[in-house]
Amino acid sequence: MARQNSRQPPPEKPSDRRRRSHIILSFWLIVLCLGLPIWWKTTTIYRANLPLQEMLDWSDGKACRPVFPLHISIQANALQEHEAQHLLRLTQHALDDLNDFSGHHLRLQLAPPSGTSHYDRDSVLTIRLAPGETSTANFEPHEPVLDITYPPNGIPSPTSSSSPLATYIASQLRSAFAEEQAAISSLLSASSIPSDHRPQGLSPDASDALSKRPARSLRYAPTYHLTFSLFTGGPLPSSWDIEGAIDEYMKPVLDILSPIHNFTIDTQVQLYAAPGVQNEVLNKEDLSSFINAAEWPLSPSIGGAPTINFIVFVGDQTIATPSQQSSSEGDDASAPASHSWLIPQWGTVYLLPLPHDTTHLAASALKQPFLTFTSHLLSLTGIPQSGSLPLRLSTLARIRSADLLLRASSTLGSLARLALALPSISIPRSVADGVAKTIRHLRLACETLGGPEGLAHARVAEAEAERAFFEKSMVGQLYFPDEHKVAVYLPLLGPVAVPLVMGLINELKAWLKRRRDTAEAGKGKKRE
Amino acid sequence: MDGAMVTPGRTAGLFAGAAVLRLAIFTLLPKLPDLLTGRVEISTPVTSFKRLQEGLFLYNHNVSPYDGGVYHQAPLFLPLFSLLPDFSSLPIFTYLLYTAADLLSALALWKIADSGEAGSSALFTSPRKGKRWSGFIIAALFLFNPFTVATCLGRSTSVFTTCAILHAIAKAVSGAPFGAMIALSFASYLSMYPLLLLPPLILLSYDRQRPERATKSGLKFAATCASVVAGVLAVLFQMSSLVTGSWEFLPSTYGVQLTLSDLTPNVGLWWYFFVEMFDSFRSFFLAVFWLHLASYVGGLTMRIRRQPLVVLTLLMGIFGIFKPYPSISDTSLFLALVPLYRHVFPLMRYTFVIAAVILYASFLGPAFYHLWIYAGSGNANFFYAITLVWGLGQSLLVCDLMFAVLRDEWEVERPEMVGKEIRQI
Repeated sequence: MARQNSRQPPPEKPSDRRRRSHIILSFWLIVLCLGLPIWWKTTTIYRANLPLQEMLDWSDGKACRPVFPLHISIQANALQEHEAQHLLRLTQHALDDLNDFSGHHLRLQLAPPSGTSHYDRDSVLTIRLAPGETSTANFEPHEPVLDITYPPNGIPSPTSSSSPLATYIASQLRSAFAEEQAAISSLLSASSIPSDHRPQGLSPDASDALSKRPARSLRYAPTYHLTFSLFTGGPLPSSWDIEGAIDEYMKPVLDILSPIHNFTIDTQVQLYAAPGVQNEVLNKEDLSSFINAAEWPLSPSIGGAPTINFIVFVGDQTIATPSQQSSSEGDDASAPASHSWLIPQWGTVYLLPLPHDTTHLAASALKQPFLTFTSHLLSLTGIPQSGSLPLRLSTLARIRSADLLLRASSTLGSLARLALALPSISIPRSVADGVAKTIRHLRLACETLGGPEGLAHARVAEAEAERAFFEKSMVGQLYFPDEHKVAVYLPLLGPVAVPLVMGLINELKAWLKRRRDTAEAGKGKKRE
Repeated sequence: MDGAMVTPGRTAGLFAGAAVLRLAIFTLLPKLPDLLTGRVEISTPVTSFKRLQEGLFLYNHNVSPYDGGVYHQAPLFLPLFSLLPDFSSLPIFTYLLYTAADLLSALALWKIADSGEAGSSALFTSPRKGKRWSGFIIAALFLFNPFTVATCLGRSTSVFTTCAILHAIAKAVSGAPFGAMIALSFASYLSMYPLLLLPPLILLSYDRQRPERATKSGLKFAATCASVVAGVLAVLFQMSSLVTGSWEFLPSTYGVQLTLSDLTPNVGLWWYFFVEMFDSFRSFFLAVFWLHLASYVGGLTMRIRRQPLVVLTLLMGIFGIFKPYPSISDTSLFLALVPLYRHVFPLMRYTFVIAAVILYASFLGPAFYHLWIYAGSGNANFFYAITLVWGLGQSLLVCDLMFAVLRDEWEVERPEMVGKEIRQI
């Protein structure tokens, strides 16, 4: 008996047993009462409610049909009221026959007869009809006005159903807006707007211009950064009157563009800068490697605003022959040899030959380079090639607003698809706010498309949509599948959990066994 | 080795010796304290003397000391150190303050040792209790422990926390529960983590109440003690907010410990984890680490209910391993209390391994840190690996001490098993 006692430990005291249960309970209470709520609170993914269906509608083009109603007023001071009305009707007819793109609609209206130099600010273009020798059409260079003269017999009689003058005006208008129409329609076709809004046929000429335009111009950004650099092969010139030159030649263009873009500017002077190509005469192939990207401190467009570089290179190098230049159309044609070339989506290089002892470049010496730069800046911002400047600018504004509208819509769509595809991604409140703001501004932009407010709203919408899509806290969790959570939890919590769980199981087993024993003992007693 | 042999002369000699050692190093080797102040093993973001001086400078120039996110220590240090003469011109006063703090800690330790609480508490008397070291030896072991000396020379403010904790225990064993609670409140105010010592300290005070004014009801006693701590802490917080003019010290001192926003390497286990942690899980694992630290309190207090001083000692060891910003000062506090258990040393199984591991880590730790930071021939993993070894050594000591104490208790219940091999089931 004593022997057996020494092998088998004596039964546990009830007080010890109770103490052990209490200890296990104390650990489990901490786990359950503190650990679980904290786990729930710190790892639940916050998903703000997004109007997913509305976002998808926008990206599918169901929410907004981009329509550009363009009002064109006709000033015909020399015509009778009813004659003018009739001409207008006929022209509108001719226009409608020519137009196959419903989103881009030219609507004519008769301007009240008034002073000659006045033009209607509400309409995109004012046509000033005046009697003349033959049919001619001329754009006013500084106002959105098209002067059309007509031969004396050009006025249609009230009964006729067609008139050469009406057809002439219609074709003039159409050619004036052809580029814009083509640009917008290509934007729409590139997006997922349903095909019934698209024009059926594009002239090969227009499609050629279209393919060139986006290739050359920079992607839209609300702000562009302009870098003006003076590179010289030697020690001179070491200073330039850049502020004066910018104020005089660049500022007017920047002011004109200011409703569409903001610009920031910096300048630099680099002495002893060796170009990438040392030839005396630069061939077309050399131009692409002229920029010495490795050594010239030209800031790349990483983050912030995209940079447009304007480089004045002081040196003796010349460009081979003007006829070989295909990329410097904006350059002064009267110059015996080209001095500059445009690098698509990047900027412009201007070769400036100077006497070797020039120490300071005056603003006047920079006139030619800067005129080149301004014209290249316009083509880099994607402004249309033809038409008068005011008309080109308003066209640019419309193209940009359409572009922004579509991009904001497609960003919304991507965000909605992302939120649907990744149920574990967190969506912070700021994203939901951004989406709501985007949709509000998109709606406003859609209503006022074609006008300046439309552009402003589209800009806000695009910026908000991008901000919401690239929300930092969302990107971090983008690629965090559920399997990875095992790798996060297990190494630490696994070892901790083993003694906790085993302790609990043993305790429960012992408790069940005790209950069974007492039950059996009770039964045994009854039987006795 | 007997308490009776200690004469007042020897006591004075011990304290004078410890003070002279510290002041001699301060004055004769003025470079050494500054070197030690910069060591990560001694100065953590929440105890560093350099950061204290930064906070002091801002405070004396009427700028909030918490501006700039360098100073993370309790606000009441600032008026205390402002009272001292300027450190750059008369550093001797600061040296005296730190030396005095160490001597006061040793005094408290002496009292704890002489009370005999380690060998025979109110509910349990060890059969081995005769075999113990006197307060003189235990105080000497504390005062001349290289870790303690280095902490004092490094002027880490954890010296004051150590002092407050030891005084809280000393007050508790001498039957002054309110004094104990007030001292613990100060310790908690300075470093926050000592608040977790409250349950075992309440039990210790409860067991050692003076019979003439004892509170019988345990719950009532605990509630009184807890309210004393809360009251003292409230007063201290109120004073702090008056001193700094706002409540921003709360997030900058305790918030930093709770959220580990300063990831300066130290000898603990937290910093490396949270350098590597995915941001989205950071708050969850912060909670897990804190819960882990806190979860030992309840279990240990219940398991070793009969010897609350053991619980306090073991918790001190656990905190030295697992708290967010540990330093060798926490280890020195733990090592100061371990010799109280001289009577269970024969029951410990791994003393040699523990001593070897702790020595190994103490010598290789600084070397690996040098390799990582200065020589550049190692990386963070070098240092982290050696801190793991350091943590392993300490946790072995904690486990072995716990084993020895439990075995000591068990042998009272089962006298026939004395000296026999046992197996854990």
